[in-house]
Amino acid sequence: MAGSIHESAFAERALATPAEAGVRDRRWDALRRAARARLAPFGAAVLLAAIVIALAAPLLAPYDPLAQNLGNILARPGRAHWLGTDNVGRDVLSRVIWGTRVSLVAGFVSVAIAATAGGVLGMLAGYAGGRADGVVMRLMDAVLSFPPLVLALALGAVLGAGLGGVLVALGVVYTPTFARLMRGQVLSVKTREYVDAARALGASGWWIARHHVLPNAATPIVVQASLSVAFAILAEASLSFLGLGVQPPAASWGSMINAGRGYLQQAPWIVFGPGTALFVTVVGLNFVGDAIRDGLDPRLTR
Amino acid sequence: MMAESGDAAARESLRRELGLDRPIAVQYVTWMGQLLRGDLGRSIRNGEPVIENVSRRIRPSLELAVLAMTIAVLVAFPAAIVSAIRHNTAVDRLGTSFALFGICLPNFLLALLLIFAFGVTLRWLPISGYVDPLDEGWSGLRSLVLPAVTLGLALAAVIMRTLRSSLLEALGEDYVRTARAKGLSESVVIRGHVLRNALIPVITVLGLQLGTLIGGAVITEYVFALPGVGRLVVDAVFARDYPLVQGVILLIAIGFILSNLFVDLLYGWIDPRIRVR
Repeated sequence: MAGSIHESAFAERALATPAEAGVRDRRWDALRRAARARLAPFGAAVLLAAIVIALAAPLLAPYDPLAQNLGNILARPGRAHWLGTDNVGRDVLSRVIWGTRVSLVAGFVSVAIAATAGGVLGMLAGYAGGRADGVVMRLMDAVLSFPPLVLALALGAVLGAGLGGVLVALGVVYTPTFARLMRGQVLSVKTREYVDAARALGASGWWIARHHVLPNAATPIVVQASLSVAFAILAEASLSFLGLGVQPPAASWGSMINAGRGYLQQAPWIVFGPGTALFVTVVGLNFVGDAIRDGLDPRLTR
Repeated sequence: MMAESGDAAARESLRRELGLDRPIAVQYVTWMGQLLRGDLGRSIRNGEPVIENVSRRIRPSLELAVLAMTIAVLVAFPAAIVSAIRHNTAVDRLGTSFALFGICLPNFLLALLLIFAFGVTLRWLPISGYVDPLDEGWSGLRSLVLPAVTLGLALAAVIMRTLRSSLLEALGEDYVRTARAKGLSESVVIRGHVLRNALIPVITVLGLQLGTLIGGAVITEYVFALPGVGRLVVDAVFARDYPLVQGVILLIAIGFILSNLFVDLLYGWIDPRIRVR
């Protein structure tokens, strides 16, 4: 899903850099390209800041994110509350800070689930072939035949409210992308000479899979994973906006935005605080994903 | 549908009535059997057949989709063409930043921004509710403007980004130089040669984005309280109306697959070389 949007932009950049070089030069080129991408440093800074904020949330948050203060509801942003207070007097900034944890966990864990499950299934399908291939890939097709958000919504509903359900639901939704990618890679890697050589030397199937196929097939998985994190964060926010995921009173950006919906007129800051955080994080992660893709995508280092 | 404290006997009889006491496999076969006969079951909440629940909701969703698509095309095509022709200028950078924003800005946030600007602050447009434009005309159209813009801009961003880069690629082709050399005016070159050849990647991306688009429609209908199919999914999920959830999601998946098929057929229409023999 995510890949498609970026693909063409890259084809364009690829045209601009017709490079034919040795392996060392190629690595150097890859590094330089990653650094040259003007926006990568901004993305990296955003990602770093988000990680620090998520880890240090208890130290950074000026107030208890759950502490209500009914004497001070819908307060304007000011010195006491930098981002104002919400409809029950909770500090919006503190809730945004704690919500960073939920968003990052959702982004990284659900993509990790999908990359692992998809990687293993794709490996199985590509390496074993035959009936295993058929069964796994038809299963993936079945998952792909649902619009992602709708499937995640239904799965989340079945798995029950809470962050765990959303993580698994998003993991399932993103798995086919990784499985297809992995299968394609494995199919091409397994016909290489070094695999034949390893087999001729008497290596077992498992050994070859682990030491030869996996490392050589992993790059696109890493690229896809880095691009997927931003979309997973968006998806978690969408689901918690609809009411799945972290349950109230705990703070998540999506649920905060939904809660502030009714107060747009009196207190737009309830929506704009978490909204800005979400937007900046997603833009930043997109830049990081682009840069990683620039650096690693083998199609660019022709 | 039953209080948590319902007594055991009542619970047992309800389970039997709904067939929940039978093994999963049997339940599944029964469900499939009914499905093949066109019976998707009944909603637990209002007891009406799932099909009727859905068919009542299709019209608003289709109207939203058509309007959003129109807005997306009207915004994306001129923007992409200008961006591509004025490559690497301020206009181009403005266009590409717009596209990036459109891709990264979540649907519900854009919806709330629009509500804040045009509904709450300027008070130009209604912020929720639905009047059928086919019945009421003007006021119906007004009720759909904000939802359609929300959904349309996200789509416009994706189209614009793809179209711009495929236009750039097409502009560098030999046949474009030939067309210019034989004295065709620039607008004829763009329309007849560049644009047509740049459309294929746009169709591909549209096909890949269909799922995201449907998800966006669900959120948009939810935010603007449009009584469409997307809103029905959300309501059914939170009402734990499982037969309805199952049925609607199945129908959405069927619609999704059919639209994908339609997109595939579009290839042949746009580029006769791709026709299947």
